[in-house]
Amino acid sequence: MGCAMNCFEARRDFRAFWRRELSSERREAFLAHLRGCPGCDGAFRNFALSAPVMHSDVTPERRREDSPRVREAVPARRPAMAYRATARRREWFSISAAAMALAAGVVAAYLSVSAPVGNLNDVLSQQEPQVEPVVDLFGPGTAQTFNQDGGFAG
Amino acid sequence: MLAIARSVERRWSATVKPDQELIAEALNGQAGAFAELASRHRAPVERLCQRFFSDHELARDLVQESFLKAFAALKTYRAEMPFAAWLRAIVINLCYDELRRRRRKPEELVGDFTEPELDWMQLVNTASPEDIVAAAEERRNAHDLAHRLLDMLKPDDRTVLVLKDSEDMSVSEIAATLGWSEAKVKIRAFRARQVLRKHAERMLSAERRWAAR
Repeated sequence: MGCAMNCFEARRDFRAFWRRELSSERREAFLAHLRGCPGCDGAFRNFALSAPVMHSDVTPERRREDSPRVREAVPARRPAMAYRATARRREWFSISAAAMALAAGVVAAYLSVSAPVGNLNDVLSQQEPQVEPVVDLFGPGTAQTFNQDGGFAG
Repeated sequence: MLAIARSVERRWSATVKPDQELIAEALNGQAGAFAELASRHRAPVERLCQRFFSDHELARDLVQESFLKAFAALKTYRAEMPFAAWLRAIVINLCYDELRRRRRKPEELVGDFTEPELDWMQLVNTASPEDIVAAAEERRNAHDLAHRLLDMLKPDDRTVLVLKDSEDMSVSEIAATLGWSEAKVKIRAFRARQVLRKHAERMLSAERRWAAR
Protein backbone atom coordinates (compact mmCIF):
# COMPACT_ATOMS: atom_id res chain seq x y z
CA MET A 1 0.00 0.00 0.00
CA GLY A 2 1.35 3.42 -0.90
CA CYS A 3 1.88 6.28 1.49
CA ALA A 4 -1.18 8.04 2.85
CA MET A 5 -1.99 11.38 1.26
CA ASN A 6 -3.81 14.38 2.69
CA CYS A 7 -6.26 16.65 0.89
CA PHE A 8 -3.70 19.37 0.19
CA GLU A 9 -1.28 16.91 -1.44
CA ALA A 10 -4.07 15.23 -3.40
CA ARG A 11 -5.31 18.51 -4.88
CA ARG A 12 -1.79 19.55 -5.72
CA ASP A 13 -1.42 16.31 -7.68
CA PHE A 14 -4.53 16.77 -9.85
CA ARG A 15 -2.54 18.08 -12.77
CA ALA A 16 0.26 15.53 -12.48
CA PHE A 17 -2.34 12.74 -12.37
CA TRP A 18 -4.07 14.16 -15.44
CA ARG A 19 -0.79 14.29 -17.32
CA ARG A 20 0.17 10.80 -16.09
CA GLU A 21 3.28 12.13 -14.41
CA LEU A 22 2.79 10.49 -11.01
CA SER A 23 4.86 7.50 -9.96
CA SER A 24 2.84 4.31 -9.57
CA GLU A 25 3.13 4.46 -5.78
CA ARG A 26 1.96 8.06 -5.60
CA ARG A 27 -0.77 7.35 -8.11
CA GLU A 28 -2.12 4.57 -5.92
CA ALA A 29 -2.04 6.87 -2.88
CA PHE A 30 -3.81 9.55 -4.90
CA LEU A 31 -6.58 7.20 -6.05
CA ALA A 32 -6.97 5.76 -2.55
CA HIS A 33 -7.38 9.27 -1.18
CA LEU A 34 -10.01 10.14 -3.77
CA ARG A 35 -11.94 6.95 -2.99
CA GLY A 36 -12.08 7.90 0.68
CA CYS A 37 -12.57 11.68 0.40
CA PRO A 38 -15.80 12.89 -1.26
CA GLY A 39 -14.59 16.52 -1.15
CA CYS A 40 -11.43 15.82 -3.15
CA ASP A 41 -13.31 13.43 -5.45
CA GLY A 42 -15.81 16.19 -6.29
CA ALA A 43 -13.02 18.71 -6.74
CA PHE A 44 -11.27 16.36 -9.16
CA ARG A 45 -14.45 15.98 -11.21
CA ASN A 46 -14.79 19.76 -11.38
CA PHE A 47 -11.14 19.96 -12.41
CA ALA A 48 -11.77 17.35 -15.13
CA LEU A 49 -14.23 19.63 -16.92
CA SER A 50 -11.61 22.26 -17.78
CA ALA A 51 -8.55 19.98 -17.83
CA PRO A 52 -8.91 18.81 -21.45
CA VAL A 53 -8.02 22.34 -22.54
CA MET A 54 -5.96 23.50 -19.60
CA HIS A 55 -3.79 20.45 -19.02
CA SER A 56 -3.72 18.33 -22.15
CA ASP A 57 -1.14 18.97 -24.82
CA VAL A 58 -3.02 17.18 -27.55
CA THR A 59 -6.34 18.25 -29.02
CA PRO A 60 -8.15 15.25 -30.50
CA GLU A 61 -9.23 15.56 -34.08
CA ARG A 62 -12.85 16.49 -34.55
CA ARG A 63 -14.88 13.37 -35.33
CA ARG A 64 -17.80 13.38 -37.72
CA GLU A 65 -20.37 13.37 -34.92
CA ASP A 66 -18.58 16.29 -33.28
CA SER A 67 -18.62 18.55 -36.34
CA PRO A 68 -20.53 21.84 -35.90
CA ARG A 69 -23.16 20.81 -38.45
CA VAL A 70 -23.94 17.59 -36.60
CA ARG A 71 -23.80 19.37 -33.24
CA GLU A 72 -26.47 21.78 -34.42
CA ALA A 73 -28.66 18.93 -35.59
CA VAL A 74 -28.43 17.06 -32.29
CA PRO A 75 -31.27 18.11 -29.97
CA ALA A 76 -30.26 19.20 -26.50
CA ARG A 77 -31.62 17.55 -23.37
CA ARG A 78 -33.12 19.07 -20.28
CA PRO A 79 -30.14 19.69 -17.97
CA ALA A 80 -28.95 22.47 -20.22
CA MET A 81 -32.39 24.00 -19.98
CA ALA A 82 -32.27 23.72 -16.22
CA TYR A 83 -28.91 25.43 -16.22
CA ARG A 84 -30.08 28.08 -18.61
CA ALA A 85 -33.23 28.60 -16.55
CA THR A 86 -30.99 29.56 -13.63
CA ALA A 87 -29.32 32.16 -15.81
CA ARG A 88 -32.73 33.38 -17.01
CA ARG A 89 -34.01 33.64 -13.43
CA ARG A 90 -30.94 35.64 -12.56
CA GLU A 91 -31.55 37.88 -15.55
CA TRP A 92 -35.23 38.43 -14.59
CA PHE A 93 -34.24 39.11 -11.02
CA SER A 94 -31.79 41.82 -12.09
CA ILE A 95 -34.36 43.35 -14.51
CA SER A 96 -37.08 43.48 -11.82
CA ALA A 97 -34.59 44.90 -9.30
CA ALA A 98 -33.64 47.62 -11.78
CA ALA A 99 -37.32 48.39 -12.46
CA MET A 100 -38.05 48.66 -8.75
CA ALA A 101 -35.06 50.93 -8.23
CA LEU A 102 -36.22 53.11 -11.11
CA ALA A 103 -39.77 53.33 -9.70
CA ALA A 104 -38.40 54.20 -6.26
CA GLY A 105 -36.24 56.90 -7.87
CA VAL A 106 -39.23 58.40 -9.71
CA VAL A 107 -41.34 58.46 -6.53
CA ALA A 108 -38.50 60.05 -4.56
CA ALA A 109 -37.97 62.67 -7.25
CA TYR A 110 -41.69 63.47 -7.35
CA LEU A 111 -41.87 63.85 -3.59
CA SER A 112 -38.77 66.03 -3.43
CA VAL A 113 -40.15 68.33 -6.16
CA SER A 114 -43.81 68.48 -5.10
CA ALA A 115 -43.36 68.89 -1.32
CA PRO A 116 -41.17 72.06 -1.26
CA VAL A 117 -43.35 73.77 -3.90
CA GLY A 118 -46.41 73.20 -1.74
CA ASN A 119 -44.68 74.69 1.27
CA LEU A 120 -43.36 77.63 -0.73
CA ASN A 121 -46.82 78.41 -2.04
CA ASP A 122 -48.12 78.41 1.48
CA VAL A 123 -45.39 80.81 2.55
CA LEU A 124 -45.89 83.12 -0.45
CA SER A 125 -49.63 83.28 0.04
CA GLN A 126 -49.13 84.24 3.66
CA GLN A 127 -46.71 87.14 3.22
CA GLU A 128 -46.11 89.66 0.46
CA PRO A 129 -42.50 89.97 -0.66
CA GLN A 130 -40.85 93.27 0.12
CA VAL A 131 -38.71 94.23 -2.90
CA GLU A 132 -36.55 97.32 -2.86
CA PRO A 133 -36.99 98.82 -6.37
CA VAL A 134 -33.57 100.45 -6.75
CA VAL A 135 -31.30 99.00 -9.43
CA ASP A 136 -28.59 101.24 -10.79
CA LEU A 137 -28.03 99.98 -14.32
CA PHE A 138 -25.84 102.64 -15.89
CA GLY A 139 -23.66 103.87 -13.08
CA PRO A 140 -23.77 107.13 -11.12
CA GLY A 141 -25.31 110.18 -12.81
CA THR A 142 -27.58 108.17 -15.08
CA ALA A 143 -29.37 106.34 -12.36
CA GLN A 144 -32.58 104.72 -13.44
CA THR A 145 -34.62 102.61 -11.12
CA PHE A 146 -37.20 99.91 -11.50
CA ASN A 147 -40.38 100.03 -9.57
CA GLN A 148 -42.10 97.00 -8.17
CA ASP A 149 -44.10 96.34 -11.38
CA GLY A 150 -40.93 96.06 -13.49
CA GLY A 151 -41.13 99.53 -15.11
CA PHE A 152 -38.76 102.46 -14.76
CA ALA A 153 -39.43 104.76 -11.88
CA GLY A 154 -38.81 108.37 -12.79
CA MET B 1 23.43 1.88 -27.39
CA LEU B 2 24.25 4.92 -25.31
CA ALA B 3 27.25 5.65 -27.52
CA ILE B 4 25.06 5.57 -30.62
CA ALA B 5 22.56 7.92 -29.03
CA ARG B 6 25.35 10.29 -28.07
CA SER B 7 26.85 10.30 -31.54
CA VAL B 8 23.43 10.98 -33.09
CA GLU B 9 22.90 13.81 -30.63
CA ARG B 10 26.35 15.25 -31.42
CA ARG B 11 25.70 15.07 -35.15
CA TRP B 12 22.27 16.64 -34.65
CA SER B 13 23.66 19.48 -32.55
CA ALA B 14 26.37 20.06 -35.17
CA THR B 15 23.80 20.46 -37.95
CA VAL B 16 21.06 22.29 -36.03
CA LYS B 17 21.76 25.98 -35.70
CA PRO B 18 20.88 27.74 -32.45
CA ASP B 19 18.05 30.28 -32.45
CA GLN B 20 20.39 33.25 -32.12
CA GLU B 21 22.25 32.27 -35.27
CA LEU B 22 19.02 31.91 -37.23
CA ILE B 23 17.86 35.31 -36.00
CA ALA B 24 21.10 36.92 -37.13
CA GLU B 25 20.71 35.31 -40.54
CA ALA B 26 17.08 36.44 -40.79
CA LEU B 27 18.15 39.98 -39.94
CA ASN B 28 20.72 39.76 -42.72
CA GLY B 29 17.94 39.01 -45.18
CA GLN B 30 18.04 35.21 -45.43
CA ALA B 31 14.39 34.29 -45.82
CA GLY B 32 14.90 30.60 -45.05
CA ALA B 33 16.32 31.35 -41.61
CA PHE B 34 13.10 32.77 -40.21
CA ALA B 35 11.08 29.98 -41.82
CA GLU B 36 13.20 27.45 -39.96
CA LEU B 37 12.80 29.42 -36.75
CA ALA B 38 9.04 29.46 -37.22
CA SER B 39 8.79 25.75 -37.89
CA ARG B 40 10.89 25.09 -34.79
CA HIS B 41 8.59 27.09 -32.50
CA ARG B 42 5.29 26.46 -34.22
CA ALA B 43 4.03 23.62 -32.00
CA PRO B 44 4.12 25.47 -28.64
CA VAL B 45 2.63 28.58 -30.23
CA GLU B 46 -0.21 26.52 -31.70
CA ARG B 47 -0.82 24.78 -28.40
CA LEU B 48 -0.99 28.09 -26.57
CA CYS B 49 -3.48 29.54 -29.06
CA GLN B 50 -5.63 26.43 -28.75
CA ARG B 51 -5.82 26.89 -25.00
CA PHE B 52 -7.48 30.23 -25.63
CA PHE B 53 -9.72 29.43 -28.59
CA SER B 54 -11.63 26.31 -29.59
CA ASP B 55 -11.96 27.52 -33.17
CA HIS B 56 -9.08 25.91 -35.06
CA GLU B 57 -9.25 28.41 -37.91
CA LEU B 58 -8.95 31.32 -35.52
CA ALA B 59 -6.10 29.63 -33.65
CA ARG B 60 -4.29 29.08 -36.95
CA ASP B 61 -4.80 32.73 -37.93
CA LEU B 62 -3.37 33.83 -34.60
CA VAL B 63 -0.34 31.61 -35.09
CA GLN B 64 0.28 33.23 -38.47
CA GLU B 65 -0.20 36.69 -37.06
CA SER B 66 2.16 35.96 -34.18
CA PHE B 67 4.96 34.98 -36.55
CA LEU B 68 4.29 37.98 -38.76
CA LYS B 69 4.53 40.27 -35.76
CA ALA B 70 7.66 38.51 -34.57
CA PHE B 71 9.25 38.91 -37.99
CA ALA B 72 8.35 42.59 -38.14
CA ALA B 73 9.72 43.19 -34.65
CA LEU B 74 12.79 40.98 -34.98
CA LYS B 75 15.12 44.00 -34.84
CA THR B 76 13.87 44.79 -31.34
CA TYR B 77 14.69 41.30 -30.05
CA ARG B 78 17.50 41.26 -27.48
CA ALA B 79 19.58 38.15 -27.05
CA GLU B 80 19.42 38.25 -23.22
CA MET B 81 15.97 36.69 -23.44
CA PRO B 82 15.34 33.26 -24.99
CA PHE B 83 13.59 33.59 -28.34
CA ALA B 84 10.83 31.23 -27.19
CA ALA B 85 9.95 33.49 -24.25
CA TRP B 86 9.98 36.59 -26.46
CA LEU B 87 7.74 34.91 -28.99
CA ARG B 88 5.42 33.65 -26.26
CA ALA B 89 4.93 37.22 -25.00
CA ILE B 90 3.83 38.24 -28.51
CA VAL B 91 1.39 35.32 -28.73
CA ILE B 92 -0.05 35.98 -25.27
CA ASN B 93 -0.72 39.62 -26.02
CA LEU B 94 -2.34 38.76 -29.35
CA CYS B 95 -4.58 36.13 -27.75
CA TYR B 96 -5.47 38.48 -24.90
CA ASP B 97 -6.44 41.24 -27.34
CA GLU B 98 -8.51 38.78 -29.35
CA LEU B 99 -10.26 37.52 -26.21
CA ARG B 100 -11.19 41.08 -25.28
CA ARG B 101 -12.36 41.81 -28.80
CA ARG B 102 -14.59 38.74 -28.90
CA ARG B 103 -15.92 39.17 -25.40
CA ARG B 104 -19.60 38.28 -25.20
CA LYS B 105 -22.11 38.29 -22.39
CA PRO B 106 -21.90 35.11 -20.28
CA GLU B 107 -25.63 34.47 -20.83
CA GLU B 108 -25.01 34.04 -24.54
CA LEU B 109 -22.54 31.30 -23.83
CA VAL B 110 -24.90 29.23 -21.73
CA GLY B 111 -26.59 27.32 -24.49
CA ASP B 112 -27.99 23.86 -24.70
CA PHE B 113 -25.62 20.98 -24.32
CA THR B 114 -25.42 18.39 -27.05
CA GLU B 115 -25.79 14.67 -26.45
CA PRO B 116 -22.02 14.00 -26.69
CA GLU B 117 -21.36 16.81 -24.22
CA LEU B 118 -23.94 15.43 -21.82
CA ASP B 119 -22.46 11.96 -22.19
CA TRP B 120 -19.10 13.38 -21.31
CA MET B 121 -20.52 15.15 -18.25
CA GLN B 122 -22.22 11.94 -17.17
CA LEU B 123 -18.90 10.14 -17.48
CA VAL B 124 -17.17 12.82 -15.40
CA ASN B 125 -19.87 12.44 -12.77
CA THR B 126 -19.84 8.67 -12.55
CA ALA B 127 -16.61 7.11 -13.91
CA SER B 128 -13.40 6.48 -12.00
CA PRO B 129 -10.67 9.16 -12.23
CA GLU B 130 -8.54 6.85 -14.40
CA ASP B 131 -11.37 6.32 -16.88
CA ILE B 132 -12.05 10.05 -17.02
CA VAL B 133 -8.43 10.80 -17.96
CA ALA B 134 -8.36 8.04 -20.57
CA ALA B 135 -11.66 9.13 -22.11
CA ALA B 136 -10.74 12.81 -22.25
CA GLU B 137 -7.83 12.14 -24.57
CA GLU B 138 -10.01 10.83 -27.36
CA ARG B 139 -13.12 12.95 -26.96
CA ARG B 140 -13.30 16.13 -28.89
CA ASN B 141 -16.49 17.13 -27.05
CA ALA B 142 -14.56 17.12 -23.78
CA HIS B 143 -12.43 19.87 -25.28
CA ASP B 144 -15.43 21.76 -26.60
CA LEU B 145 -17.14 21.65 -23.24
CA ALA B 146 -13.97 22.76 -21.48
CA HIS B 147 -13.79 25.72 -23.84
CA ARG B 148 -17.41 26.59 -23.13
CA LEU B 149 -16.65 26.50 -19.44
CA LEU B 150 -13.56 28.68 -19.86
CA ASP B 151 -15.52 31.08 -22.09
CA MET B 152 -17.51 32.03 -19.00
CA LEU B 153 -14.45 33.70 -17.52
CA LYS B 154 -13.55 37.31 -18.13
CA PRO B 155 -10.66 37.76 -20.58
CA ASP B 156 -8.29 38.90 -17.82
CA ASP B 157 -9.16 35.93 -15.61
CA ARG B 158 -8.88 33.41 -18.41
CA THR B 159 -5.55 34.74 -19.58
CA VAL B 160 -4.04 34.54 -16.11
CA LEU B 161 -5.43 31.07 -15.50
CA VAL B 162 -4.09 29.69 -18.77
CA LEU B 163 -0.67 31.22 -18.24
CA LYS B 164 -0.37 30.18 -14.62
CA ASP B 165 -1.92 26.71 -14.65
CA SER B 166 -1.25 25.52 -18.19
CA GLU B 167 1.94 27.29 -19.17
CA ASP B 168 3.49 27.14 -15.69
CA MET B 169 4.44 30.81 -15.77
CA SER B 170 5.26 32.52 -12.49
CA VAL B 171 3.28 35.48 -11.17
CA SER B 172 6.16 37.85 -11.91
CA GLU B 173 6.51 36.51 -15.48
CA ILE B 174 2.79 36.99 -16.13
CA ALA B 175 2.88 40.48 -14.63
CA ALA B 176 5.83 41.44 -16.83
CA THR B 177 4.26 39.99 -19.97
CA LEU B 178 0.88 41.68 -19.53
CA GLY B 179 2.17 44.86 -17.91
CA TRP B 180 0.13 44.30 -14.74
CA SER B 181 1.04 44.41 -11.06
CA GLU B 182 1.76 41.10 -9.33
CA ALA B 183 -1.14 41.76 -6.95
CA LYS B 184 -3.52 42.01 -9.89
CA VAL B 185 -2.27 38.73 -11.31
CA LYS B 186 -2.79 36.97 -7.98
CA ILE B 187 -6.28 38.38 -7.52
CA ARG B 188 -7.28 37.46 -11.06
CA ALA B 189 -5.99 33.90 -10.67
CA PHE B 190 -7.87 33.48 -7.40
CA ARG B 191 -11.11 34.86 -8.86
CA ALA B 192 -10.79 32.80 -12.02
CA ARG B 193 -10.46 29.56 -10.07
CA GLN B 194 -13.48 30.44 -7.94
CA VAL B 195 -15.66 31.24 -10.95
CA LEU B 196 -14.50 28.15 -12.81
CA ARG B 197 -15.25 25.90 -9.84
CA LYS B 198 -18.70 27.45 -9.42
CA HIS B 199 -19.64 26.93 -13.06
CA ALA B 200 -18.24 23.39 -13.14
CA GLU B 201 -20.25 22.47 -10.05
CA ARG B 202 -23.37 23.93 -11.62
CA MET B 203 -22.86 22.01 -14.88
CA LEU B 204 -22.27 18.71 -13.13
CA SER B 205 -25.18 19.14 -10.73
CA ALA B 206 -27.48 19.95 -13.69
CA GLU B 207 -26.40 16.69 -15.31
CA ARG B 208 -26.94 14.78 -12.02
CA ARG B 209 -30.45 16.19 -11.67
CA TRP B 210 -31.24 15.02 -15.18
CA ALA B 211 -29.80 11.57 -14.57
CA ALA B 212 -31.84 11.22 -11.36
CA ARG B 213 -35.15 11.62 -13.23
